Amino acid sequence: MTALTVLAVDDEPRALADVRRVLEGSPRVGRVETAAGGHEALVKLGEGSYDLLFLDVRMPGIEGIELARLLRRFDDPPEVVFLTGHAESAVEAFEVQALDFLVKPVTRERLDAALERAQAARARRGGAPAPAAKTAPEVVALDNPHGAGKRLVRLESIQHVDADGDYAQIHAADGDYTLRASLAHLEEDWGPAGFTRVHRAHLVNLGHALELRSLANGTAVLSLRDGTEIPVARRTVAALRKRLKA
Amino acid sequence: MPEDPGQPPVPPRPAPPPVSAHFVNNVLAAAASYIEEDPDLARDVLAELGQFLSYRLREDPADVSAAQELGHTATYLRLQQARFPERLEVRLPEAHELSGRVAPGAIQVPLAEALGARLRERPGSFRVTLRPAPGGLALELLDADGSAEHHKIALPEGAPA
Repeated sequence: MTALTVLAVDDEPRALADVRRVLEGSPRVGRVETAAGGHEALVKLGEGSYDLLFLDVRMPGIEGIELARLLRRFDDPPEVVFLTGHAESAVEAFEVQALDFLVKPVTRERLDAALERAQAARARRGGAPAPAAKTAPEVVALDNPHGAGKRLVRLESIQHVDADGDYAQIHAADGDYTLRASLAHLEEDWGPAGFTRVHRAHLVNLGHALELRSLANGTAVLSLRDGTEIPVARRTVAALRKRLKA
Repeated sequence: MPEDPGQPPVPPRPAPPPVSAHFVNNVLAAAASYIEEDPDLARDVLAELGQFLSYRLREDPADVSAAQELGHTATYLRLQQARFPERLEVRLPEAHELSGRVAPGAIQVPLAEALGARLRERPGSFRVTLRPAPGGLALELLDADGSAEHHKIALPEGAPA
């Protein structure tokens, strides 16, 4: 597996030292360079090639979000992961198509998941790193049903998703959301987090499954912890039973 | 903000704003960075963050002595120095130079606002000096190039010596 070349950018020297140390300890990373701000990062980006940027959001001069926007003009921009103390900046990060958003200080496990996603993204774009197992995002930005803007919803809090024409109706612990996406697309993106298609019209987070009950006609009903019952198509019953060891 | 002798001092806050998660996260990141190269310092940073949070999250709204609030401010500044060891030099008055009682955060919160703005807006090192002044405390942020910002931190009658 070809390791990643990473540029970490932060105006906080100790936070930069910390992420550098953790990155250097990862087998997914071949080389780590650092920059103390957006200007220095741009100089380094002009001189060298990087697979991945770890970017602080708030910095004097060029801020992280601004730098990420500038990078989108590059022919082959590096992947961007925000690493910040500003958890509330996550929506902006998703808007500039960041690969991930981490809050300092990040655990090695969480950092490794971001690196794995970066390797997979580089592989998809024809980059050198070898393909890695696909990982699901930890949070998704969904239209706020109660007003303007986006809400960040933890993937694990989503119980099930129903198809609704070109849209998906998402049922999460804190409410319902509508997203313009197909269930097939969502299953591909969220599958690594335990989401599986049990019916043409239903995608379920198996982490919320409570009971699988067979019906006389060969179909089944999957009960979720909150009492919701989801119909299971005949052709998926056996595979689902095997997966749930039911 | 340049000093304006004609401008009345900012009144003290009745209650401090919530602790900034950004500040806490970055102090924790700084502590993590010291774990291998200076474990004792890493431990001190965590212990001081604990002290800072205990003080700021206290449920007792009663006023504290100005000296106690000064100690809390010193803790806050040490945490900022842990984040930016090359950027901050700090000079504070002695505890005996302050008297009276103040609201918790009366010194630390306005100082944090001025300091946070300075850290965000410009790179480079600077010196933070707090000294007793009529009606409260004078805060000076002095850059290495000699330019300075002056702020007034208003305290209730009798707080400064």
